Amino acid sequence: MTRRFWVFIEQEVGTMHPVAGELLGVAQRLVTEISDELEASGEEAIVEGILIGCEVEDVARNAIEHGAERVYMVDDTAFEHYLNRPYTEAITNLVRKHKPEVFLIGATTLGRDLAGAVATSLKTGLTADCTKLEMGPIRKAQGKYLLATRPAFGGNVIATIVCKDFKPQMATVRPRVFESPKRDPKAKGEIVREDFKVTPDMLAAKLVEFIQEEQTQLNLEYADVIVSGGKGLGKADGFNLIKELADELGGVVGSSRAAVDGGWIEYEHQVGQTGKHVRPKLYIAAGISGAIQHKVGMQDSDYILAINTDPNAPIFEIATLGVVGDLYEVIPEMLKQLRAKKGAQA
Amino acid sequence: MIHLLVSVKQVPDTTNIRIDPETGSMIRKGVPAILNPYDAHAVAAAAEWKRKLNGKLTVITMGPPAAEIALKECIEMGADRGVLISDRKFAGSDTLATSYVLAEAIRKIHEEDPLDLIFFGKQAIDGDTAQVGPGAAIRLGLPLITYAVEIREINQTEGYALIVRKTERGREIIKTTLPAVLTAEKAIAEIPYASLPDLINSLRYEPENWSAEEPLAYDVDKVGLKGSPTWVAKSGSPEAHEPAETIIVAKEGLSTTVEKVLDNMLANNSVASIWEEIK
Amino acid sequence: MTEKIQFDVVIVGGGMAGSTAAAITAREGLNVAVIERGQKPGAKNYFGGALYTHALQEIYPDFFDRRPPLERPVTETGFWFLSEDGVVKMTVQGGVVDNDPIDAYVALRAEFDPWWAEQAAAEGAFYIPKTLVTDFIYEDGKVIGVKTDRPDGDVYAPVVIICEGVNNLLTQKLGLIDHDVLINKTALAVKQLISVPAKDINARLGLPDSKHGMAISVVGDVSMGMPGLGFLYTTSSALSLGVGVTLEALQETQIKPYELLQRYLEHPFIAPLIEDGQLMEYGAHLIPEGGWTTMPKLYTDGAMVAGDAASMVNAIHWEGTNMAITAGKQAALTAIEAHRKNDFSAKTLAGYQDRLSELFVFKDLKQYRKMSAFLENHPEFMSVYPNFLNDAMGMFFTGFGKPKRKLYKDIFRKLTERRPLFKAVGDMVAFGRAVTGI
Repeated sequence: MTRRFWVFIEQEVGTMHPVAGELLGVAQRLVTEISDELEASGEEAIVEGILIGCEVEDVARNAIEHGAERVYMVDDTAFEHYLNRPYTEAITNLVRKHKPEVFLIGATTLGRDLAGAVATSLKTGLTADCTKLEMGPIRKAQGKYLLATRPAFGGNVIATIVCKDFKPQMATVRPRVFESPKRDPKAKGEIVREDFKVTPDMLAAKLVEFIQEEQTQLNLEYADVIVSGGKGLGKADGFNLIKELADELGGVVGSSRAAVDGGWIEYEHQVGQTGKHVRPKLYIAAGISGAIQHKVGMQDSDYILAINTDPNAPIFEIATLGVVGDLYEVIPEMLKQLRAKKGAQA
Repeated sequence: MIHLLVSVKQVPDTTNIRIDPETGSMIRKGVPAILNPYDAHAVAAAAEWKRKLNGKLTVITMGPPAAEIALKECIEMGADRGVLISDRKFAGSDTLATSYVLAEAIRKIHEEDPLDLIFFGKQAIDGDTAQVGPGAAIRLGLPLITYAVEIREINQTEGYALIVRKTERGREIIKTTLPAVLTAEKAIAEIPYASLPDLINSLRYEPENWSAEEPLAYDVDKVGLKGSPTWVAKSGSPEAHEPAETIIVAKEGLSTTVEKVLDNMLANNSVASIWEEIK
Repeated sequence: MTEKIQFDVVIVGGGMAGSTAAAITAREGLNVAVIERGQKPGAKNYFGGALYTHALQEIYPDFFDRRPPLERPVTETGFWFLSEDGVVKMTVQGGVVDNDPIDAYVALRAEFDPWWAEQAAAEGAFYIPKTLVTDFIYEDGKVIGVKTDRPDGDVYAPVVIICEGVNNLLTQKLGLIDHDVLINKTALAVKQLISVPAKDINARLGLPDSKHGMAISVVGDVSMGMPGLGFLYTTSSALSLGVGVTLEALQETQIKPYELLQRYLEHPFIAPLIEDGQLMEYGAHLIPEGGWTTMPKLYTDGAMVAGDAASMVNAIHWEGTNMAITAGKQAALTAIEAHRKNDFSAKTLAGYQDRLSELFVFKDLKQYRKMSAFLENHPEFMSVYPNFLNDAMGMFFTGFGKPKRKLYKDIFRKLTERRPLFKAVGDMVAFGRAVTGI
């Protein structure tokens, strides 16, 4: 019996979404966590990817280079654009065929559209937006199961969910929660082509038109420098200052939920549990109290600078360095001194 | 006559949470219960279309008796009928069990009076899973459009709708046959300030009560804890962190503060590497 | 076409006056609507504070059987005179205070007001929350209804009872008063509700158990020389501490309300009471201080006004809620009579004022009509005398070994240093007149 640890290899327009790489890394780690069981039982475990698309062999290769030992690929023009029904059917078909033990999907828009449908079709358990995944024991059961930990109640509670009696144990994970393993161009792996026929009844909903957004994709999740503004800005215009600092540092603008809810900036910029998870090298939080929902989204940043007038703001608990002061004074001063330093270099 | 349905949930207002300073855990008592914001916007959109097309709007919710208040808020926004599906047997339901309960209720309502479009909010702000809407769609065998930000058209005679969904890369215009299921983003409609007749109507309205047996007999193995493949093995508060070093502008002066900040930042390897690139 | 929304009586505001008027009129079988701008009744109300049993029982004789949400009974009450670093406490307990039931109970408005409204709803009153009344509907110069801020939001009724609270914008719109709230006749009170375990409250305040409570008027240093008072109330497991001064005083001194409150809480004899306490609530509210001098005309064709909106507060005695309840009832009785006669003109509604004249509401407000001016003109009352009292008593009880005659002279000097004798005498006379109304 081979124990299969599956990762959905998300792709759009022929490019693998980095979250798939991140999850392949997770899957590999999960396999090491059951090595004792494997030794005892003599079974094997394997990390496999499941890929749906059209002309996506390169993506399959990419997946292998990130740790997939095998990739099941359904390659057909019917799957050129993502649609819920055909993808759900194709995936559930393969799941029933190969019976994976664990199935991980990235919690992107596509992933979240897909995961609930797949889990319900398979009548199995799904835990969303996990921040921690490990194989471990559970009460009243033999063996190790997937322990899926996630924040609940807006991040005020951390819960560990298990799914004991149903397979596969499914989980979704937001991009950037885990680090991607390094790409290995010499990795060896198998690509298995699978057939799946899309029937007309699966096409009740069709893509009529795709409108690219005018601005280039923000790519908050993979930015190295993020300057975020929150409720402390007091008004939408405050983001002009945030942008200035972000530009000066070669970074992008982030936001707390409060600022998005207040209509000061678009949801794309939201960092946090219901926004984007980020792990930049430098994260500057200005006028952000640091409620747990926000913290959860950025606490893995390498260096966190917090600026807030309230010395008791929770953000100071996770900041590398905190400044108790008015951001409308501190940031302009930072810009002044940064520019001076740059001038001195020139 | 067009018939629309919205499934809503009453949730604790998770943006208004207090933490018990002694135990470090969330104080659940006294947290106000609200209509899930995404659901509220879904109801607003459905009510708008119901009025446009001169149709009917039914709202359902699975929850404790108190969820009746959420239904009344929906009546205030323009819903015509509210159904509270409540029973102790449903307690402990995870998303799979919940989608079962709701799908069966929707099926029953559809049998009596065919539905054209079914709305869910994108996600509930307590569970944040976004799984129930898609789960219900699968069970009902209906097309699913998530992250809906706009309904362009509902054409009942020809049986289709044009719905715009938002993804990371842009917007997709989806044409779907009806009936279909959508999950709504807040952008789909603004929440109106109800007219006084609608408000008064909602204050006087008594929702219908459905149990696990009547008017629909649920399979007890599929609801509650029994019907939930997942359960919570452990829950607790997030770890506390050590407070950071802080510099107070009022004490050190503005320029000294910023000098110290920049020095500290550049002493950090990660930040230093960025500085190398941008300087 | 929507139907006309029609009631027999419309009441603006679901606070103490409004819900009382609602209960009395609904009880009589009239079709009554209460239009409340808050999410629910009480959402916009805040006070120290204590409710007075006489008024509550007058509306519901079985009041205590209904298990009202009340905090501790006020079994000890009086004054604390604060100097900068000391206090003279003058309180009374037992004796007359030990009544059955106790005459006053500490309460939390966010709990009590919704309950008070529920009692009225049980009598048949219909509450419309989350809706703001913006104007009146007139016919031939008579009020025949109100406009609200909602679409299709006109509500018709032959008589409207305005219980809109201290910011009496509608009362002004109706022309019952020709000016907005006056800054020298309106106080801003800020308070904190700090949770302290009940047994600690009992220990720190010397209360025998949690069935005993305190309501204290705090005078002196607490208002930093401005006309105003501080207060302390004990809820079951929290202390409500606050201070109120006139808006004019705040404007003149530029002292921020939270600074004022913070100073009070840090007073050496106040701080220990709230040690290790948890801040539960922080809020503020305006209080009408003008009483008789800022009372609007109380009625016109088709409308009456009651409660804070009608300036019915005897500020120095902390009496406002009982006046509101009493006035609400009298307005209701007048509305009932108007319906009986099918005459809603000012002539009939004048009966409201007639009724009030016979009661403590009018009598007290009239008697205390000079009080707000007195406090404004005698700011030293809040600083000189409390400080003097602290010095006097302190010196009296510590000046051992000094000949008493010398001691008395020294004490007397402590007064005259601060205030020339003739002025002090004048203060006392003026205070006497302000209290007695003579």
